[in-house]
Formats: sequence, structure tokens, C-alpha cells
Amino acid sequence: MKRTRPAVSSIRKAWTLTQTFETLLVDLLPRMRRFAYGLTGASADADDLCQMAIERALARRDQWQRGTRLDSWIYKIMRNLFIDEIRATRRRRETFVPDEAGLAIGAEGGQEATVELAMIDRAMLRLPDEQREAVLLVMVEGCSYKEAAEIVGCPVGTLNSRLVRGRDALMDLLEDAA
Amino acid sequence: MTVTPEMIAAFADGELGADERRRVEAAIAADPELAAQLERHRRLKGLLAARYAPIAAEPVPDRLLTLIAQSAHAETGSGEVVSMAQARARRSLAPMVRRWLPVAGPALAASLVLAIWQPWQGSQPAGYADSALATVLESRLVAEQPTNADPRILLSFQARDGSVCRAWRSTADGGIACRDGTGWKVTRRFAGSPEADREYRQAGSDADILAVAQEMAKDGAMDAQAERSARAASWLNLR
Repeated sequence: MKRTRPAVSSIRKAWTLTQTFETLLVDLLPRMRRFAYGLTGASADADDLCQMAIERALARRDQWQRGTRLDSWIYKIMRNLFIDEIRATRRRRETFVPDEAGLAIGAEGGQEATVELAMIDRAMLRLPDEQREAVLLVMVEGCSYKEAAEIVGCPVGTLNSRLVRGRDALMDLLEDAA
Repeated sequence: MTVTPEMIAAFADGELGADERRRVEAAIAADPELAAQLERHRRLKGLLAARYAPIAAEPVPDRLLTLIAQSAHAETGSGEVVSMAQARARRSLAPMVRRWLPVAGPALAASLVLAIWQPWQGSQPAGYADSALATVLESRLVAEQPTNADPRILLSFQARDGSVCRAWRSTADGGIACRDGTGWKVTRRFAGSPEADREYRQAGSDADILAVAQEMAKDGAMDAQAERSARAASWLNLR
């Protein structure tokens, strides 16, 4: 077992190397959409963000080094696009959830599950972007602290404290509302 | 030992080394307050998973797939578009495939032509790939095949003796064949997997084939360009 495992994984890597960039990208789409929905707060902006990310990834495909992780590279493109494009547009539009909107709005009459989902969306939107992306990368996308820090482009310690703050805020918001 | 909230968080995220993990585990077992903190983390993670996992399971909008498919099409000018449709089908979104048919049609026709045109007429000697398989081995490039081509070429590589070998798998079987003056000599053959449990088994037997390839290969797998030139040289000894 110990002897064959590394062999298999390295030839698997070699196999990945023979896949086209497009095939690898298609395989990532579901996760890209999940991340986009988290960043934008489950809005119509999410698929726009995916579209922009695909366009940029295709245009800059030469900058991705085969053998390195494509998912990390794509997440990085996405969070940069989110900050540069989506967030900037939103600032102009000012369609953000009003700060004091209660988290439990819509709680009556709706299905319990739906209410809970909407509550999570609102709680996530209340987080500063940097905390939200840290929470998403680690708790939803399953990145290690180090990978997440690399994607965001900050030291691991900084990532860690954003994560802790974001997580505490979320727990408070969701438990208060419950 | 004092266990900070950061350590609890790192514990919940699986970020601690074995030593620290054991210490935090012990502290949690001894302190209900810490256990409650950990429970809050787990609950939050569960809520987030419940919120976001379904999004990854949704069908991917066509416009996103089309964007990528167009690029693939421009890049290879080949049947790659078909594989986009098949990537969808694989995620059990078969109804969408119909929409792709007008695009995929020409590529499908091309593969029919390939199946009929077989340079490997007549029977091949024992131990060699039969004419249908030999045709695929001879003509199909990894980068140009649809995602669920059958048989599907897994990779090509140069063996230690200099000959070019290709690993394939189909629903019926799989293995490795190397080109010599006579044809495609099958050096290893694996039985196929039963239909049930397909995803799981296929992954397993791909790994078997790839492991053998690894042992035979002089270097790694050929990239798309190396494969193309190998095909141009009829897969015969490249030095």
C-alpha cells in the first residue's frame, strides 16, 4: 500500500496534466457558483461573477501553471473580480440590505427551512467582505488556512483573525435571531 | 493549559497538529464550556453547509457552459463541444443534452466515420489489439476525445524501451498497448467493471491502469503536443 500510493497519485497528476483547460474548468463550475453565491449574497450577481471569472480565466489561461491547483487560482480570480467589479457596481447602486433590517424578517408564515436560509444570507451580508470570504473559503469551500490566505493574498495570521471575527459575528447573529 | 477560542476554531477546522489536537481534545472532554464552544462551531458549519451545498448541486446555467464550450471549440476545432454536453449528462442533466445536439451533431457524425474507416483491416495477431481498438489507439488524441468516449484513452507515454504506449479503458475492459511494427501490442489488460457501482469501480480500475503505466513509463505522460507529434510519427519509436 505505502509503496503504490505515491505512484498512483503522481500518475494521476500526470493524467490531470493531459486534460484540457476547459474540461477542468467545467468540473469546477459547481464550486465556482457556490462561492459566487456566498460572496454576493445569493443574488443575481452570482452568475455574472461566474461569467466574468470564466472569461478572465480563459483569457489568462497561460498564467495558470499546470500542476498547481486550478481551484485556488480560480477562487483568487473570483474574489478579485468581486471586489473590483461587483462591489464597485453595488456601491453605485446602493441596493444593499439596510443595516438595521432584522434578521428574522419574513419569519412568519414561511417554511421553516426557507426562513433559515434567508436568515443565513442576511447574516452573511452583514459581515465585512473580508470576513465573509474567509468564512466561505474555510468553512464552505474547505480550504486550509494557508490556502485561503494565499487566495486572499494576506498573511495566515490575518486570515485567521478575520475568520474568528466573522465566525463569532455569525454565531451571534444567527443565535440571536433563533 | 489554556485553550483559546482561536484554538477551538482551529480544532473545528482540522488545522491543529496531532499534539495540539490531543491536548485540545482532552481540555474539551474536561470542560463543558469548551465543549459548548466547539458545538457552536459545528452547528454553524452545519448551517452553512445546508445553505450552500445545494447551490453546488444545481444545474449549471447553459450560458456558463456555452462560454467554455466556445473556447474549447475555438481551441481545438474538434469534438470538445460534445464533451461539454457530456459533462452535463454525467451530472444527470441529460435533458439539457438535446439542446446541444445541433452543435454536437457534426462531431458525432465524424466519430461514426472514424468507426467505419479502419486502417486495421482483417484480424490482428494474438496479443494485439483488435482492429476496432487499434483504430482508436492509432487515431484518437487524449485532448480531442469526448469526456465519456468509449474506449477512452487515459494517457500516452513512452516506455523505457522507447516504444510509445497508450492506456485505454472502455466499459468492457481496459489496459495498456504499445505500438510496434505489427500493430498495437497489448501488454496489460484489465477486466471491465460491472455496471453497478460504476463511478466507484471505474475510479478504482483507472487507478490500477495508471499505476501500471507509471511503472512502465520512462517519464511522465505526454502532453497534447507530444501526443500530436507521436501520432504524426505513427506512434513509432521517438528518440
